[in-house]
Formats: sequence, structure tokens, C-alpha cells
Amino acid sequence: MLDNSRPSEGIRFEELILDDRVHSTLYTDSEVFEAEMDSIFRNGWVFICHDSEIPKAGDFVRRNVGRDPVFAVRGRDGEISVIVNRCAHRGNIICQEERGNAKAFVCQYHGWAYDTKGGLVDVPYPAGFKGDFSCHGLERLAKVDSYQGFVFASFNPTVPSLGDHLGRATELIDRAVEMSPVGRINLSGGWVRHQLNCNWKMLPENDTDGYHVNFVHPSFAQAIRSNYDEAVLQDEESLKSEAKDWGNGHTELNFSPSYSRPLEWFGCAEDRYPSYSKALREAYGQEKGDKILLDGPPHAVIFPNLFLGEMNIVRFEPVAPGVGLHIHTPMYLEGVDDDVNQRILRQSEGALGPTAFLLADDSVIAERTQLALAGKGGWLDLSRGAEREVTDDNGVVVGHLTDETSNRGFWRHYKQVMQGPDQSSPTAAAAAA
Amino acid sequence: MVTIEERLRVEEFLFKEARLADESRYSEWEALAEDDMHYWVPAEAGQDPDDGRISILNDNRTRLATRIRQLNTGVRHAQVPPSRMCRIISNVEIETIADGEYFVRSNVVLYEYRIQADKEMEVWPARVEHKLRMRDGEMKMFSKHILLLNSEGPVRGLSFII
Repeated sequence: MLDNSRPSEGIRFEELILDDRVHSTLYTDSEVFEAEMDSIFRNGWVFICHDSEIPKAGDFVRRNVGRDPVFAVRGRDGEISVIVNRCAHRGNIICQEERGNAKAFVCQYHGWAYDTKGGLVDVPYPAGFKGDFSCHGLERLAKVDSYQGFVFASFNPTVPSLGDHLGRATELIDRAVEMSPVGRINLSGGWVRHQLNCNWKMLPENDTDGYHVNFVHPSFAQAIRSNYDEAVLQDEESLKSEAKDWGNGHTELNFSPSYSRPLEWFGCAEDRYPSYSKALREAYGQEKGDKILLDGPPHAVIFPNLFLGEMNIVRFEPVAPGVGLHIHTPMYLEGVDDDVNQRILRQSEGALGPTAFLLADDSVIAERTQLALAGKGGWLDLSRGAEREVTDDNGVVVGHLTDETSNRGFWRHYKQVMQGPDQSSPTAAAAAA
Repeated sequence: MVTIEERLRVEEFLFKEARLADESRYSEWEALAEDDMHYWVPAEAGQDPDDGRISILNDNRTRLATRIRQLNTGVRHAQVPPSRMCRIISNVEIETIADGEYFVRSNVVLYEYRIQADKEMEVWPARVEHKLRMRDGEMKMFSKHILLLNSEGPVRGLSFII
């Protein structure tokens, strides 16, 4: 890259993000958005896919990293590469299908062919090609790593390890996969792409905001009896659920303390799925099995674009300052009867997406917020509960469900990333190489 | 081949169903649905409702009743106030499934003026498949599948009766 200037130069994030408030331009300004594409989506780790989506050699899925089109593909050696979806010749989309299996990727413009590692293997009319095949491969994301099958990637060759990025939040991912008695989830159910005309940051913020539920979702509460009655819809003193900041921008609403019966989080009694309960206790032992059945799955955001949404997995995708996508799939479990996964599917359709009992209301509220932030804008308050949150033995900050502990955690990390050291930018690294 | 009279009854049903949906008359619309109703918006072209792939909407009669109950609370923000809608129905083809039961294909273009947040016009073109049944002299539906042209998305909020 020739451009050595960082788009975030000139944006004074320290003046826009204070401990107890953030400025609305962070949601509306196109320079801020460009800076995020660089500092967050190219420089840091981004969730790409789950390895269950591409189980066999040659399996691929298309994704966007920020706005950069990529595809993840499993090579013959079993390793997953994340490759920029742009022909090295004249820039055509090289992987046209959303998902599938391929032995090679052939550009439909001039027929250049690439293997599943992105290496150039064939150029039609070779006599006129004087280049070096090894220098004309597809651009691969510099780093690809996974945790519990969740595949993350980064354009930045000097990005700190995925383990450093996830930090303590590996525990949240562990809790998600341990909903399966064999410790494996399966994301083969397809994705619904829900567009919200709001800034992408409102999606992780709202998904771990425990304060809005009574006000945004009264129609849900009135129409449906659910596990949220106990977990969320109580008076302030009775609410036992928590808002948590796990560090590095990873945040959670922990509903577990409000559950008193196994499978309450699943909206049913334990005897509804006896073989599931039995399998969990056999797999993890009585004590841990009981705990999993009682606590249920995590409701947590892994910065910047992954939401472990109880029995759903969600990707956030930024499109423009005022447009974001909330893309979800059911979190199917391996090693359980079909009827458990069937319930997961139906709950996923009920909770998330354009027609859902929950997200349809969140989306209109978010779009109204975006409208309210137009023009010169102003400050958004994030002070709630700062004086009553506590840091637990593991360094996790814990607040009342309705407190803005989780959102403060998101913004604290965001500020650090956006102000971050220049030398870690891929632009600088590429210029130095 | 259906008779002219049957065709008129089917088309009358389609127009009435569309009007009640356009005008967000939720309970009157719901009264057109039979107990074995399947109300479905797949997420992918060519999707099978039982293949384990997620749908945008996949209601049996019980969940449809919940959906209507939620809309009727008056605090379903996504439809307060209700979208202003107008659907144009065309290309109606009718097959007889059994005595008094029909499989009906139509093309629908739904114009939606979204007035809940920004004021925007959204257009929802779809191929629609109804299954209708004549019962006690009245036409009812026991299936409505809405195959949105843009089902793979991105899809905006769709909280009205489609």
C-alpha cells in the first residue's frame, strides 16, 4: 500500500470517548467509520466462520471483513485459509457462490485459476504471461487462528495472538460449546442477513444492554411467557442477572443467577429433553452437568463482530456509518437428539432476524437512535451503575443487569484500539516490508 | 382446470387477504387461517421447510397466534404506527389439490411506506403460494409461502403481515 497516512489521524478519540459518555459523531462520521475499517477490521482479529461450516477439503464460505470481500476455504491439508475475494489479475470476484466446494477457483473474467491456498496455478494463453506464478497468488489474510472451532483472521501480520485478544473470554466460548455433550457445535443451518439502518456499533451495544428490555420488548413480554420473565423483567431489586465486562471489549449479560430450574433458559422443564440432560451429566459429571443445565448458554459479545447469542451465533457487519448487518444462525449442538436442535432452530427464528419477536423491535429503536444522532449530534450517557459495579477475582467487572457496565467495557477497548500504536497498522507493516 | 366460479372465489380470497394485511387488521386476517396453517418466508431460494436450514419466518398456527397477539398489544414498536402498505397481485394460477382445496400461485409486489423511524418506501416483490380450502361455504387458507426475491438479503425489518 502506498498510502502511509492513517485515516484516524485527526480524529481525537480521547475527546469523543469519556469514561461516562461517548459523542454521537462516533456513530455518524464517515472518517470515524473509515478509521474503524482500518484499526478494528483490518488491524485486529475478526470472526470469520466456524469450522463446522466448511468441514471437508475444498469447502468454502464467502464473508466480509469490514468491507473487504473474503472467502474462507479448507485446503487439502485440512487447514483453513482466509483469502481476499479479488482476482490478482484484474480484480474480479473469484469465488462467486456464497458457499460450496471447489478444487480450484477460476476467474470468470480471464480464466486465471487458483488452488485452495490462493496460489496461482494456471493462466490461459501462457506465452503472453511473463510474470512469476508465485508472485501472483490471491491475497491471503496474514493471520488465521481458531478457538473451539471459531475461526478468526486478521490482515495484520504483527497482530498479537488470538489468545491475547480473547483473554478471559475463552471461558464464554467454552460455555457455548459445552452446551453440547460432546463439546462441539455445528453452524450448518444457514444465515439470515438482517439489515439495520444504524451504525454497526449499536448492534454489539444493544445485544449486551440489559436496561432496554422492559421498554423495547413489552409486546414480547405481554404476548409470550418466556425465560426472560425471570431473567430480565423484574423490578430493580429482584433482578439477579448481571452485566459484565470481560476486558478487551468482550461483554456479557449473565442471566444464569436468575435461573432456578434446569433448562429454564430453554423455556421448558428438564423432563422435556431427558436424554439431553442425561448426556450432559454423563459427559461432564454430575456437578458440572447440573451447572450447565441450570446456567444455560452465554449471552456475550466477542469484540468486534461475534455475538454468542444464547443458542444463536451472530455476526455483525459494518456497511456504512448508518448501515449495519445483524447476521444470525442457530447454534446446533453435536451429540444431541434432533428434537433439541429443532427447538434451537425455532427459537432462533423467533428471537432474531427481520420478522422476529425481539430483533424487529430492536431494529426500529436503533434506526430511531441513528436518526436522533444526525447533524451536529451530542453526547450519549453511559454512566449508569458506575458506582456500584465490582471487579471479581478474575478481573471481570460485574454490574447490575440494568447498568452500563458492558457498554463501558466495549467503549474502553474501542478507544484503546482506535488510538492504538501506529506501528501495528498493516499499512505501516506493509510499508516497512 | 378450475371453473370460472372457483377462480372468482379464489381471487376474491386473495384480494381480501391482501387488504386485511395491507390495513394491518391483524385479527381479521388471522381468522382466515386454518388450524393447520403454515406461514413461511424461506431464507434461501429452493429451500425445503424441513431441511434444517433457517427461515426468515416459519410459523405454525400456534406461533402465528403468538405473532398476532404481539401485534395486537399495541406496543410492538416495529409496527407502531403500522406500515402503510399496498400489494398488487397478479399472474394467478390455480390448481385443484383435492375436492374444495386449491394450490394457488401468484406474483405480488408489496409497497411499504415505513413510518416508524425514517420515512422510507420499501418494495417487497415475491412469488406467493397459497393453499386454500373451502369450509362451511367460506374460503380459508392453510398455507401461505412467501418466496421473497431478496430472501438471501440483506433484508430490512419485516414485522408486518407479509
